[in-house]
Amino acid sequence: MRRDPGDGVLLTDASGLVEHFFRHEYGRLVAILTRKVGIQHVDLVEDAVQTALMTALTSWVAKGLPDDPRSWLYRVAHNQLIGTLRNTAGRLRILEAAGNALRVAPNDPVSPRFDGEVRDDLLRMLFVCCNEAIPRDSRLVLALKMLCGFSTTEIALRLFLSEANVLKRLGRAREHLREIPSDFNSLPLDALQSRLASVQVVLYLLFNEGYLSAQSDTTIRREMCDEAIRLATLLTEHPVGTTPETFALLALMHFHGARLNARLDGIGGLLLLEEQDRSLCYQDQVRLGAECLKKAATGESFTRFHAEAGIAAEHVFAPSFAETRWKEIADLYSMLDRIAPSPLNALNRAVAVSEWQGPEAGVAILNGIERPSWLLGYYLWDAVLGELHRRAGHNEEARRYIEQALASAPTDAERELLRRRLASINH
Amino acid sequence: MSNQKYLCMYRGAPSQNKPSPAQMQEMFAAFNQWKEKFKANIVDMGSKLKPSGRVVAPSGVTDGPYAEAKEIVGGFMIIAADDYDGAVTVVKAMPMLQSPGACVEIREMASS
Repeated sequence: MRRDPGDGVLLTDASGLVEHFFRHEYGRLVAILTRKVGIQHVDLVEDAVQTALMTALTSWVAKGLPDDPRSWLYRVAHNQLIGTLRNTAGRLRILEAAGNALRVAPNDPVSPRFDGEVRDDLLRMLFVCCNEAIPRDSRLVLALKMLCGFSTTEIALRLFLSEANVLKRLGRAREHLREIPSDFNSLPLDALQSRLASVQVVLYLLFNEGYLSAQSDTTIRREMCDEAIRLATLLTEHPVGTTPETFALLALMHFHGARLNARLDGIGGLLLLEEQDRSLCYQDQVRLGAECLKKAATGESFTRFHAEAGIAAEHVFAPSFAETRWKEIADLYSMLDRIAPSPLNALNRAVAVSEWQGPEAGVAILNGIERPSWLLGYYLWDAVLGELHRRAGHNEEARRYIEQALASAPTDAERELLRRRLASINH
Repeated sequence: MSNQKYLCMYRGAPSQNKPSPAQMQEMFAAFNQWKEKFKANIVDMGSKLKPSGRVVAPSGVTDGPYAEAKEIVGGFMIIAADDYDGAVTVVKAMPMLQSPGACVEIREMASS
């Protein structure tokens, strides 16, 4: 999804391959071949695809890139899979069940399939990963493995989990995959629409893992956001997923994605909204977000994604920090809180209200809320309270809350920001 | 162009962790950069070798190399250089040499 801001051409690396080519081919090939032989055999498919990529690595190094690397990989993975199935007597049935699709002479070039079919296969895999019978944490891990082509080590790094934990989650998900009935592949995609909400939640989680991550490596964070945008875009392109809610979800991803670079200063420190340079926003991505928002603004329901996309849009379209429509943002947080109640909405609303009506009004909102126990050690709550008190001139409270926040802030970037705040309190 | 040819045999541990797709793309990019930099030295990119083969001796034919061997020759390549130092410079920059347990044996090929 990352595009050159100038001419819209996909970036390529030193070898002439599109960025993330291997990873995305992994997802594509696993989806296409699984569709052919059945989800029950996804392990064999993954092995075949892994082998094909390894073969490509050595062969392309020696002979250079083939004319059509995608078809080349497809052919090799496909033949590898047939070979494995043939060598396993008990699995002959799979070949028969898979019909003619796999019964191609090994050297017969298999034409790459139409983009629409590939998209449908990827979506089918996404809906497989988002089966509500699979625990939610496992769904996210499974999607990262199957569709994004991340290894368990890479997933662990991105989700701040131990590798053992990732393996455990994957294992649970795979148990469910094995139980999928063999006629699953013949179901039309539309029959899976009942899982749409689950798919949206997983994509939302995926995006937030990148956007809100404490991970200091920007490249890694952007990568996660780009993956979420790539899959959400696919979802909007098929009748099964092209709902106003999905467009709202994609709109909020584009708006936040546009701000992601502006959110980090030169040394990786988190910048406050006030300090962000808006010219850094990718205007292309803002435009994409606006198009999605327009498509989201139809139908009967106003969902949490609508509220969040609306808030993100207010920030992105504000010509400057001073000209931000804080009242609109405060209202949107109220609406969001009615749809998806959370004390964190009040926290955000307090920030918007303090910009709109002054810090005392913001403090009043937070003082009116009993902080739930699970938020007691949450540094952002203390950080916001401290900052609002600081602005209101309550130096003593300001210091107390910022010091509390400092004690539990998870990253260096956040601690640095808090120290800057603390230093600016008048003595 | 250098006249001396060197046979480079790549040895690695027989079982290595499978690289992830992202790592494979990095390896591919790194290898292409290496190839570009030393293209004047590369005579034959050679090939990867399959892990098992046959060993023929007067006593007969056996399967080999032995599975219990700690390192097996995984691939070969022919490069040109003025001397061993030159060949070592090329080989030291090879990206595949970065993987743990890897080593490359360099042998000068007799010209006559």
